[in-house]
Amino acid sequence: MRNLLDFLAKHHHWFVFLLLETVSLVLLFRYNSYQSSVWFSSANVVAGKVYEVDAALNSFLSMRQLNTQLTERNLVLEREVDRLSRLLVDKTQDSALVSGMRLAALQGMKLIPAKVVSNELNSINNLMTIDKGLADGVRKDMGVACGNGVVGIVYLVSDHYSVVIPLLSAQSHVSCAIKDRGYFGYLRWDGKATDIAYVDDIPRHAKFKLGTDVVTSGFSSMFPPGILVGKILHVFNSPDGLSYRLQIRLSTDFGNLRDVCVIDDSVMKERLELLRVAEDSMAIGKE
Amino acid sequence: MSIDIFKKAGLFVVLVLAQALVCNHIHLFGYATPLIYVYFVLLFRREYPHWAVLVWSFLLGLVIDIYSNTPGVGAASMTFLGMVQPYLLIPFLPRDTEGDFQPSIRTLGLNKFLWYTILLVFLYCLIFFSLEAFSFFNWQEWLLTMLASTLLTVLLIIVIANLKI
Repeated sequence: MRNLLDFLAKHHHWFVFLLLETVSLVLLFRYNSYQSSVWFSSANVVAGKVYEVDAALNSFLSMRQLNTQLTERNLVLEREVDRLSRLLVDKTQDSALVSGMRLAALQGMKLIPAKVVSNELNSINNLMTIDKGLADGVRKDMGVACGNGVVGIVYLVSDHYSVVIPLLSAQSHVSCAIKDRGYFGYLRWDGKATDIAYVDDIPRHAKFKLGTDVVTSGFSSMFPPGILVGKILHVFNSPDGLSYRLQIRLSTDFGNLRDVCVIDDSVMKERLELLRVAEDSMAIGKE
Repeated sequence: MSIDIFKKAGLFVVLVLAQALVCNHIHLFGYATPLIYVYFVLLFRREYPHWAVLVWSFLLGLVIDIYSNTPGVGAASMTFLGMVQPYLLIPFLPRDTEGDFQPSIRTLGLNKFLWYTILLVFLYCLIFFSLEAFSFFNWQEWLLTMLASTLLTVLLIIVIANLKI
């Protein structure tokens, strides 16, 4: 303490200097307009930076509360979006707009929106009825899908209703493939859990990860390729040990299915046919 | 001691009047302005308390500012000069001098005093004109003003110092 006081006493003129210099600078920056303006503009920059850092710190420290608020808001907004999109489908009857937003693979398809009027999940051969029929353009063997994935295939059609064999039926055999890998097999349901199905005959040399999407392969004419079927949950060996059997979690929730679309690619088929005929005729014409 | 203060006060007043009434209106070639009040700071002797040097310089600068309508510029520069003067006097002292020393043409010799003056005046003009302009917008003018004022001031200070003996 004494040393400090001695030091201060010895160099007290520095403090006097600081004091007087500060006073002069205050006078300088206060009463000269040019210096004053320079001071203010640069002081603003400095003050601005300090406030910026302070604001960043504060916003970081209040993250937790913000997170809870955001989660609540998310839930509210999700419910709202759900409600509004259902409203939209009801009002415009144009589920191509809504489903098209979710089923990107169905671009270019004609989609017939339909509602499920009866559904069953508890027998081995479940059947589903939808409220569109011959009058709306639905034909036998058209594929049916919903916003989340594949639903089934149309089996019987009357004028205003159709019966669909859903994936949850022993008779369903949709051809599906592992996304981006191409290894394909037929999807079968074993009659037990309503969200699990199996794909057999995946070759043992196939490389894939658990959790990869399984999509329609496009080898059947009922579904265009790329529509989501489910995710790979587990891999087993097949009963004869020669191939893999994939356990799939189905992406469609058959329990609360209401809105589906019937995929009508007869238009697509017709256009493709026309194109092929045109190319053939041009090739013939060249000879 | 008190006589010294009175003498200083007298010199203070004389220099302020000379500067305000005469020298502030001299602008040779549009650049050079004599700032003869710097002479006051040159005269502080070696043993003079530093804080007192500072206070005198500050007051002188302040009063000059009032007359020159440059608030704070002179005060800031003079305070700075008051800070460095005791330190800058030391290299010019003749060897082996202890104790008090009053710088003047007689005690230092013309050569040393000249260089001492040039150094301090140059420093002062540097700070003064930089603070006054506060930008490097027209740096040629700034440089020229600084150098020309230094020259003129040194000239006049040497004249006054000669007379003072």
